[in-house]
Amino acid sequence: MRLRFVSPFAVLAWTFFPLVFAALGLFVLNRPGVTSTQLAYGVLGGGLIGYWGVTYLDAGNGIQDERWNGTLEQIFAVPTPLWAIILGKVCGGLLWGMLSFLPTLALAFFGFHAFLPHIDALPFAVSFAALTISFFAVAFMLTPLFALWRWAFSMLNGFELGAYVLCGFMFPVTLLPQWAQAVAGLLPPTWATRAVYASTTTEGPHDYVVWWAATIGLSVVYLVGASFLYELVQRKARVSGELALA
Amino acid sequence: MRRVALEAQVFARSTWLQYVALFQWATVTGYIAYKVLLPIGQILFFVEFGVFATGRQNALYFALGNALQLTANAGIYGVIATVANERQYGTLPILLGSPANRLITFLSRSIVNVIDGLVTVIVALALVVVLFGLDLQRANLPLLAICVLVISLTTAGMGLLFGSVGLVMRDSIVVANVVYYLFLILCGINFPVSRLPGALQLISYGLPLTRGVEAARQAAAGASLIHVSGLLAGELIVGAVYASCGYVLFRLFETYSRRGGLQEAY
Repeated sequence: MRLRFVSPFAVLAWTFFPLVFAALGLFVLNRPGVTSTQLAYGVLGGGLIGYWGVTYLDAGNGIQDERWNGTLEQIFAVPTPLWAIILGKVCGGLLWGMLSFLPTLALAFFGFHAFLPHIDALPFAVSFAALTISFFAVAFMLTPLFALWRWAFSMLNGFELGAYVLCGFMFPVTLLPQWAQAVAGLLPPTWATRAVYASTTTEGPHDYVVWWAATIGLSVVYLVGASFLYELVQRKARVSGELALA
Repeated sequence: MRRVALEAQVFARSTWLQYVALFQWATVTGYIAYKVLLPIGQILFFVEFGVFATGRQNALYFALGNALQLTANAGIYGVIATVANERQYGTLPILLGSPANRLITFLSRSIVNVIDGLVTVIVALALVVVLFGLDLQRANLPLLAICVLVISLTTAGMGLLFGSVGLVMRDSIVVANVVYYLFLILCGINFPVSRLPGALQLISYGLPLTRGVEAARQAAAGASLIHVSGLLAGELIVGAVYASCGYVLFRLFETYSRRGGLQEAY
């Protein structure tokens, strides 16, 4: 967390990028006839994008940053297991990412006179917790993935806005073609985001239990996948000694 | 005459070296990620959001705006990175120690990225035609091409200005991120500039892209050169002002960074 305070990218990630997307959303939605359901996407969308951005970029690069800083070997030499070190990094990233909602909510309230969406407190709280778990699972899986295959980071970084589409951060995924919805359904944040937005409106379906179950189930699958990747990272770092060179 | 030929030679060599050494997307992975996936992702995101917010009838407004804004990917990120990468690779002191003409060195940083910007927009427009059925039958295609060229030049002009900051700033690529995303709000890419508050409208017309995108939208609707000449002239003036300021800043920061030993700070 202390490193994040002095990193310009980390500060931009929770202040500037969420503000840009919130401002864009609210400028586009700022017209007669807009519904409160649509407005909720403008108000919360920027925050969700900021939260996701910090998670995948900042937390996902947990091992990669050690390699850049030349401290990879030390990380593997200490008696603390790798997963415990990464756990701390990812949790720090999640906390940092949550700050993204502060500037976007402030912009909506003070800049656009947009009243914050009415929230059904309990479902919102549970959905937000489920979203955090899903982000945790994705970040925990991406961390070894980015370390093992550097091209994976470039690809995901290039397709960052595509990820916003598939996760439904600023509009419902039900707008997408069927095949895209099927792909989106494989991402845990998609289901949690759906539940978060459902708790801000009385319209549409409210199948919270199904969405929460899908989020948790997929997150578990991602964590299981991550455990194999961590094994591979350990092997590359300790047995073949190739990781620092990769 | 011989002097001009020699300087042209330096310019050509410098441009070539920019491409082989500093064009950061000259790998298969880099190109696919940032020149194929990024345009697809950006266009899909903003078109789907536009459809959700304003209805299916406005899809092309968002698609065309974002396809044109992608020039900034090359013009801003690419040009700023040419200085930032010199620092990262440790070649900045050598560059600044060379006797090469500074104006030539400065301008050669943008050429590859202008060409890249053109290619990016062509790819993006092709995507818009295929995915969203952009109808270019009524469009004034030669004029649209001129608009794209002008936009590529002016965004590179602004890239040169902020690239100069890379002489004294370690994380100048942060500036590229800020500028690129501000363009999405301020330049009439996703909603008309008239929706911005008055002060922001003033800033908007002081930026590259704003007039160029407006001209390109009119060209796509079939307008003639006479109709958009004012917009294009304004766009070129804005780009030239930024490039000129960039050159002045480049010289100032060159001296400043040499004095403070900032060229090797990383």
